[in-house]
Amino acid sequence: MWDEVQFGFALAVSGLSIGLMYSLIALGFVLVYKATDAINFAQGEFVMLAGFVAALALAVNGMPVIAAVLAAVAVMVLFSFALERVVLRPLLGRPVVAVIMATIGLGAILRGLPPITVGGGTRALSLPIGDSPIALGPASLPPIQVLGVVVTLLFLAVFTWFFLKSRMGVAMRAVADNQQVAMAMGINVERYFALAWAMAGTVSALGGVIWGSMLGVDVQLALVGLKVFPVVILGGLDSVVGAVVGGLIVGLVESLAAGYLDPYVGGGTKDFAPYVLMIITLMFKPYGIFGTHRIERV
Amino acid sequence: MLHRESGVFKTSYAADMALYPLPIARWTVAAVILLFAVVLPLTVHEYYLSIVNLVLIAIVGALGLNILVGYTGQISVGHAAFMSVGAYTAANLAVHLHLPFWVTLPAGGLMAALIGGIVGIPSLRIKGLYLAIATLAGQLIIEWIINHTPAISGGAQASIEVPRPVFMGRQIKTQGQLYYFLLFFAVLATLATLNLVRSRIGRAFVAIRDQDIAAEIIGINIFRYKLLSFAISSFYAGVCGVLYTYYFGIANYEAFQIGVSIDYLAMIIIGGLGSVLGTIFGAIFVTMLPIVLRLTMEPLGGLFFDAGELSSIIASTRLILFGCLIIFFLVVEPEGLNRLWRNIRNYFRVWPFSY
Amino acid sequence: MSISTSWRTAAITAGAIALAAGAAQAQDKEIVIGLQCDRTGPTQIVGTVLCPGYHDYINLVNSKGGVEGYKIKAIEIDHEYKVPPAMEAHERFKKDGAVLEGVYGTPQIAALTKKLEEDKILGTSPGFGTAAAADGKRYPYIFPIAASYWSQGAAAVDFAKRQLGGSLKGKKIAYIYFDNPAGKEPIAVIEDLAKIEGFEMRTFAVPSPGVEMAAQVLDITGRFKPDFVIAHLFGRAPSVSIKEFKGKGYPLSKVVSLVWGSSEADIQAAGGYGVAEGYHTMQFAGVGSDFQVIKDINAMYKAQGKSPPKEQETSVYYNRGLMIAALHVEAIRNAVKAKGGAKPTSEDVKNGMEALKDFTLGGMVPPITVTPEDHEGGGWVQVWTVKGGKLVKDGEWFQAYRDVIKKHLQAIN
Repeated sequence: MWDEVQFGFALAVSGLSIGLMYSLIALGFVLVYKATDAINFAQGEFVMLAGFVAALALAVNGMPVIAAVLAAVAVMVLFSFALERVVLRPLLGRPVVAVIMATIGLGAILRGLPPITVGGGTRALSLPIGDSPIALGPASLPPIQVLGVVVTLLFLAVFTWFFLKSRMGVAMRAVADNQQVAMAMGINVERYFALAWAMAGTVSALGGVIWGSMLGVDVQLALVGLKVFPVVILGGLDSVVGAVVGGLIVGLVESLAAGYLDPYVGGGTKDFAPYVLMIITLMFKPYGIFGTHRIERV
Repeated sequence: MLHRESGVFKTSYAADMALYPLPIARWTVAAVILLFAVVLPLTVHEYYLSIVNLVLIAIVGALGLNILVGYTGQISVGHAAFMSVGAYTAANLAVHLHLPFWVTLPAGGLMAALIGGIVGIPSLRIKGLYLAIATLAGQLIIEWIINHTPAISGGAQASIEVPRPVFMGRQIKTQGQLYYFLLFFAVLATLATLNLVRSRIGRAFVAIRDQDIAAEIIGINIFRYKLLSFAISSFYAGVCGVLYTYYFGIANYEAFQIGVSIDYLAMIIIGGLGSVLGTIFGAIFVTMLPIVLRLTMEPLGGLFFDAGELSSIIASTRLILFGCLIIFFLVVEPEGLNRLWRNIRNYFRVWPFSY
Repeated sequence: MSISTSWRTAAITAGAIALAAGAAQAQDKEIVIGLQCDRTGPTQIVGTVLCPGYHDYINLVNSKGGVEGYKIKAIEIDHEYKVPPAMEAHERFKKDGAVLEGVYGTPQIAALTKKLEEDKILGTSPGFGTAAAADGKRYPYIFPIAASYWSQGAAAVDFAKRQLGGSLKGKKIAYIYFDNPAGKEPIAVIEDLAKIEGFEMRTFAVPSPGVEMAAQVLDITGRFKPDFVIAHLFGRAPSVSIKEFKGKGYPLSKVVSLVWGSSEADIQAAGGYGVAEGYHTMQFAGVGSDFQVIKDINAMYKAQGKSPPKEQETSVYYNRGLMIAALHVEAIRNAVKAKGGAKPTSEDVKNGMEALKDFTLGGMVPPITVTPEDHEGGGWVQVWTVKGGKLVKDGEWFQAYRDVIKKHLQAIN
């Protein structure tokens, strides 16, 4: 009996921590959508790109980890600027399917680049945090996951404060709400778009470093991006808190489903469960737990 | 020079409502039919015929997706799942009940239509990105169900071998025979779509695409028509899946995964949303891109790289080219190849004058 | 590859538009083989090493005058582990006159089974594919030529039995697998063996893409607590599984992996040999560079002024590429000889493959004998274990439970 409880607890802890790592990726998505209404179907590929940059930087002899991480951040920020300028600006006002396909196309390009530029083999991204699991009662987490949890919660705190209290955050919310009026109020909309993408780039960079360290950096890393969707649908497309809560729920559900339902169904419920959850959310609360209700005007 | 409409006077409603009212259009269509039905299969090598066969199958699927996305304005990232449903339905019927292809084909289509209607139910409440994600979920869930239900998937291997279709006592096996088999269905699908979009249902679809709240106000039951759109689109997808199955001789769920859904979306976007001719162009383009890329890069690449590296470079280049083309068409020419074709046609319409 | 590669690629693509393709004509003294590969898909960790190994062997054979005077041309097509490009690749091989095809991937061989039979071109599926294809009467054109998944599963059980003191009665074995048809293939045989040997077996599916299995491993180590674990993972999953088991404190010396989770690359991706200490890997070809054929290949490279390819570091997959190429060449050699020096057709090569007897490639592979009834060649495997920073041979070549496997073959066919 105690064994079962221990098992359940370990499952829950594992699920929650992985869930927070999903949130890390989802945060990038949410930031962009919140500030600029753009939907990034290539979030996974962003994480992969960041991972590659960090891995390549670390491969240079004697490069301190901090420098590698900063390199990843810098590249991602620049990349996000470029993306916004070249691809998304011309697509403003077009139907949603256009933007989605554009980011899918971008994702394809990003996936094709590594094998012909730097070789497609898997690289390790070793961070100096050790391998031995850290115990939390009967459960244990590898240090990289603990780091991921810490980073995510840190971002959550920073961004929540940013959007609620700081002047720039409020300005960004104004831009997201109604671009025309914000411009009329004297807010430099373009600069805030750029800032939003920069923030998203930073989050992606850290996501790339952490996930790359956990899974190894190669083209397959981009697949984590698929996890974003259940998370943001649950939490709300434009809510930072929602991204975190959604991530926690998805991670927990996945873990419990895998642990308890798999034996009956022969496996694979892990993939299945979050999507079922997502459909249920879409039917009853389409905008997610924390999302803002969009009012459509004819 | 080619100003087509001058001198053509119609004297009956039937003539006015005809699909190709202009004589020059009729001649052109006749010539095209002659080309594809007679000239092509007799002159082209078997390998190239197999490529054309793949294109024909893709046309059927892409037409279905275009009805949903181009004409009704919904989004579906789950098209491949419906193909999979059609494929396995037909495969199971063919193998367990030994039904002939002219029964399994519509059966597969109808089953897919049913599932498609169910997946389409969220479209009544949500739009845009949410709908895209819902259909993505639908794709993954259907994939999972098929993979994990041995009754449907036929065991651990999840692939069912189907016997070749039998027509008038003879098995349809060679590329040439398959060509006629597939051509028949591709032409049927095209005609059906052309007529569908001119009909009342088609006009309702377009009204929903343009402004669905207004459409509801003027009396179109968007509940019914959205579901109908999903169902029709999934029917096409199911038929496409069955055709794949008969063409390859095997139904395998791994041939119908999310990448295929994205390929079909690319087809209709590159070809041009909301246009039948555009869909055909798009299907040809996307299906042939990797093949053409490989055929042209191999002899050249052999000069620079050795065989091993070359293969991976070609695959990566295909991905990059694919992504670039999607973005190019979205940014530069949103109405796709269809608009390019129209531009060329309009130019020749009044040539040698400029307007 | 370097940055200059991408410039060269760009130049090629630009020029490709202007140039018409001049396809190479099939030479009279040239025999064409089709090779499928996955260099950019989920199993690229294998394909990017195995296929260069294949090409190296072919180059070696050609450099020594070819097969009875015929040069071998191996056309490789990357299908990204998807089925439609594989079907299209088959058409391409057919057009180019291939006499045999090295198929890559279980779904691919499943999809191509019928076509290969119709087109009378033999396809090989070493170490993967439908285990039922070992029956040469039912599948005359499919040749596993290496331990099928059934043989591997049975061998794993046999290995576990020996590790656990000779008896499995009352013991618990966990089977963790990649949740797709290839992963599910051995289950039927292992379940049967569970009844025969009296052990309890439970399966744990890891969903695609196989990078997350925390819950499954937790279930195994925390709840089921087996005496042994048989792992059937591929792609990125094996390295993740090593890390997970290690992280949960389960001794890797109680884990044996089937053939596609057992390379140096997997161990490196898991964090290195230190992390994977004790991990057992199943092989169907030799490991390491201490074989004559590799020395010959390196000599060939040296003669060209190049250093040995870095793919040799992942000797597990590289050597498998060599083995597959060697078996193909051997079949062609038999076919040419049987035809008295004339150019063989695909039918001749099929007979040539069925004439393979006791082929060992200088000790790198177990003695493979293929007959018209048995296209598997005996199902030999060998276990290599991670000890002290490298892979060490842990016993000789062995087969296991051939009678049980035969029973399953007869049942399914």
